[in-house]
This record gives sequence, structure tokens and C-alpha cells, in this order.
Amino acid sequence: MTTALALQLAIAGISVGSIYALVALAIVIPFKASGVLNFGQGEIVTLGAYAALILTQMALPYPIVLAGVLVLGAVGGMVIERVLIRPIVKAPEFTLVIATFAIGLLIKGVISVRFGDSPNTIDGPFGTDPIVAAGLRFNPTSLWILACTALVTVGVILFFRYTRLGKAMRAVSVNAEAARLMGIRVGTVYRWSWAISTAIGALAGLLVAPLIGINPEIGQLILRGLLAAVIGGFTSVPGAIVGGIAVGLIETFSGVLIGSAFKNLVPFLLLMVLLVFRPQGLFGAADIKRV
Amino acid sequence: MASRRTTILALSAVVLFGAAAAPLGSYPVYLLSLAMINIIAAVGLNLLTGNSGQISLCHSSFMAIGAYTSTLLAAKLGVPFWAAIPLGALLAAAMGALVGAPASRLEGIYLALATLGFLQIVQIVIEELASLTGGVRGLTVPKAAVAGVALGEYARFLIVFGCCTLAIWIANNLLASRVGRELNAVRLSPPAAQALGISVGRVKLAAFALAAAYAGVAGGLQAIVVGFIDPVEFGVSAALRQITFIVVGGMGSVAGSVIGAAVLSGLPEVLRPVKEYSDLIYTLILLGFLIFIPRGLVTVWHALARRLRGPDVPPVAEAGQ
Repeated sequence: MTTALALQLAIAGISVGSIYALVALAIVIPFKASGVLNFGQGEIVTLGAYAALILTQMALPYPIVLAGVLVLGAVGGMVIERVLIRPIVKAPEFTLVIATFAIGLLIKGVISVRFGDSPNTIDGPFGTDPIVAAGLRFNPTSLWILACTALVTVGVILFFRYTRLGKAMRAVSVNAEAARLMGIRVGTVYRWSWAISTAIGALAGLLVAPLIGINPEIGQLILRGLLAAVIGGFTSVPGAIVGGIAVGLIETFSGVLIGSAFKNLVPFLLLMVLLVFRPQGLFGAADIKRV
Repeated sequence: MASRRTTILALSAVVLFGAAAAPLGSYPVYLLSLAMINIIAAVGLNLLTGNSGQISLCHSSFMAIGAYTSTLLAAKLGVPFWAAIPLGALLAAAMGALVGAPASRLEGIYLALATLGFLQIVQIVIEELASLTGGVRGLTVPKAAVAGVALGEYARFLIVFGCCTLAIWIANNLLASRVGRELNAVRLSPPAAQALGISVGRVKLAAFALAAAYAGVAGGLQAIVVGFIDPVEFGVSAALRQITFIVVGGMGSVAGSVIGAAVLSGLPEVLRPVKEYSDLIYTLILLGFLIFIPRGLVTVWHALARRLRGPDVPPVAEAGQ
């Protein structure tokens, strides 16, 4: 493999990986706040892509489409949290896993009935002509995805560090009861953790649509997002980002090095190995249970 | 312990039911066979999830392993179905133990993730080993035959029905024995179970192997009844469907598995006029039960029994936490 090819692959891997990173981030935020892992997050991505499609077909300019997708994603998350998650937030973990899975299937089912399986697509904001610099070709959509991911990451980190709500979320994730006694509205924290997470998920849908098209199967992305979250340790924001990019790179390079037939196995074998030997991920702290 | 009278009653009910299906046309008998196969899979999954308390999102993969193993043994080596299906179940059980080994260290979402990963691996292997498995195009199953005579729809039903009865009988006896108490103890409190001298890891692993064996039998039977297998049949939605059976029926109860699988197996026929919505309705039922009736239909059944028999019914062993 030449250096140029390796670099080209690395660029492709990082840009795909930053989508996975966004999905992982969307998984990690409500998990941190409320301990609920949203297995339906993939379908939030699908929802974002279809929202982008509808808004684009209304001939709205890209910035408005972007804002619309973010707002719709946030509102959708609040509704799901209030109507479906809140009643069972104290239920056994099995119930939460299956319920979030089912919410995903519900969204996918509605989309399949409404739009059918016919593929659609939208364009990125900067066209498709590759930008050539230093002998390397950059897809403008990929660069845009990278920029958005970087912005969201910095935003989320600053949010958790400096804002009142962000600090409240961290307090609730450490100890919900104590946080409630300190006057933090735990319900509000849950609601906003879902809103932020689903807004990020919907954004991922808008961003990925020009690369992979729009169809009801986009939700499959969640498997890569979950792997990224496992690598990152499930509760770490930087971990989710690093994990996502790692998954993107692994996928791109294994396609070239291993051949196409079994390259899809690599992420899942890695997932199994990690879960067996290091379930707390590379960034998370081991959750030691005292008996 | 079942008294002799209830045993005789149960046996005669089984024989009557088997005989009553004889005059039905081949399509209703085929549907009955499919429902029984679902019951076998659900009973196995409920032992694992409802009793030992472990989430499994890959139950359909063990069905796939059973179905593909028995079909390939029959098609490539000419092994008769009555030997091929147990061999498929054996391999499924071995794979179940393989998944169960790390699973004994994992719980909750991590177990959900590991089993989801295993499901994807099985799907990809079936799709990519197309020269052996037919890939996404699927595989035609050789006709099940005894001594060179191909079995008809009713004969296949009797085999499925026999397996289903046996599966329920075994599960009932297991739950009434030491094994059942160990499974429930491991769900209710692993540390307490450990303190009582139960090897928690071994029980969890055994539960996985047992559930996988049930799924393997169900898969092998499904192959001969339907006559065709493909990977889509055993994907995530199939795994979720089996979970729906035990949630709707009642977790941790053999009667619950039977009721859930039987009621929901009939549903696709009822929903035929609104076929495109059937997935949606299925999911709504699952969500509705999870949120509003988490103990399942079996509680309705028990409430009725209590009303009929008066208040002196022994308390129901209930699943949940």
C-alpha cells in the first residue's frame, strides 16, 4: 500500500468514523444521565435523514433544513422520553433494552409504511466536486461532516463543563437521589439529555444522507455506533469520538487488507473480544460492584 | 409434582388435540405446526430470560444454527431428519455454551450487546458462505422422509406436536426441580445464590446451552415444515418476535411461553388484510405489554383461576426483578 493510498483511506475512514462518533455520542449522553441505553438511536438517525429529505423537497435553503432537523430531533426525543421512557425508567434493565429496541422498530415501521423502501437522496451543502490539495482528494461532504462533528464535540464538552444544565446532568449521573436533594429537577435533566441526544442523532442522519442515500435501513448504523461507544467506554464523551473514528478506520482498512467477503465480521468480532476482556472500554473506569 | 390424575388428564388432552387436528385441511395444520415451533422456541427463551434473568437478542441465531445444520446434514450427507435435527440442536447447544461462557461475566446492556454482536456474526457467516448455505438466496430443504416415504403435512405436524409436548414437559419438570430453583435464584440475586453454594457462572452457561438447544430443535423443525430457509428468517426481527412471545405471555412461566407464542402465532392470519401494518402492530403490542402489563397474559389466566377455585390457591411464583 502506498503512502498516498493509505492517507486517502485514512481520510475516508475518519469521515465515516465521525458519523459513527456522532451516533456514539448520542448513545452515551442519555446513558450517562439516566442509565438508559437507547437501542433505538439508529432509527433517530433515519428519522433525521427523512426530515432532511422532506424539508429539502420543500425547497428550503440548507441552513434552515439544518435548523429544522435539529429542532425536530430534539422535540422527538422529548416526546419519546416523556411518553415511553419515563413510565418504565425504574423497570428492570431487560424492559428498557427491549422497549428502546421496540421504539426503534416502531419508527422504522412508520417510515417504511409511509415512504416504502425506495431509495432517496439529498445533496451535501457544498456539491460533490472533490477538492484537491497536496495530491489528495477531499470530498467536500466528508469535510463538512468532519467540521460538524468537531463543532458538536467541542460544544458538548463545553456544555458539560460550564453550563448549569450540563453540570446538573453530571450531578444526576453520579447520584440522582443526592442531586434531587440539592434541588436539581431530575426529570428536566432526563428530558434534556434525550433532547440533546436525539438532536445529535438526527444531525447524523442529515449529514450521512448524501454519502449513503436515504432508506429505512439507515438505522443499521447503530451497530457501529454501539461498537464505538464500547471502545470509548460508554460514559466518556471523548471516548465516544475516538471510538467512532477508530471504527471508521478499522472498517476502511479491513476492506482493503482482508477483502470484502469477511470484512463485515471484523467490527463484530472486535465487539465480542472487547466485551469479554474489557467491557469498561478503553476510556471508561471499571464499574466495581460491592456485595 | 403432578399427581397421577393430572398426568392422565394431560396425556389424554394431548392425544385428543393431536387427533382433532387430523380432519383439518393442510393449511390449518401447517399453521398449527408453525405455532408449535414458536412455542418450542419461546419455552427455551423463557427459561433463559424469564427464569435465569439473562437478556438474549440472538435466540433466532440458535434457530438458524439448528436449521442450517440439520438441512446441510440432510442435503449433503443424506442424514435422515430424525437424526439431523438432534445433531443440529446439539451444535446449537454447543454454540449456546460458547456465547454463554462470556455471558456469565456480563449482564444487562453488555449482555444485550454481546448477543446482538453474535446475531450479526451468524448472519454475516450465513450470507458470505454462499457456496455452502446458499447465501441470501436461501436453501431448499430436502423433504423429510421415513423409510423412503415422504411425510405429509399431518405427519410433519405430529412430529412437531410430539416435540412441542416433550419440550413443555421437560421445561415444567426442570422448573419444578433443583435446576429451576437455581435458575430463579440466579435471577433474583446472584450474590445470594452464590452464598447458597450455587455456581452462578455455571448455571448461567447451562441456561444459555439449554435455551440454544430448544431453539436448535425449533429451527430444525421449521426447516422441514416450511421446506425453505434463508438468513432473513433468523434476523433481529425474529429475535424480537420471540421476545414478544414471552413478554406477552408472561416471563418465567412455561404457561406464559405457550400462551404468548400461541396467541401471537395466530396474529399474522388475523392481520392479513392490513399486512403492511403487521410489523407496526406487533411492535405496539410489545411496547404496550412492557409498559402496562409487564407480567403478561398469564396473570390474567391466574386471576381467573383464583376466582374459579377460591382464594386458597398457592401464590404464583412471579418473575420480574
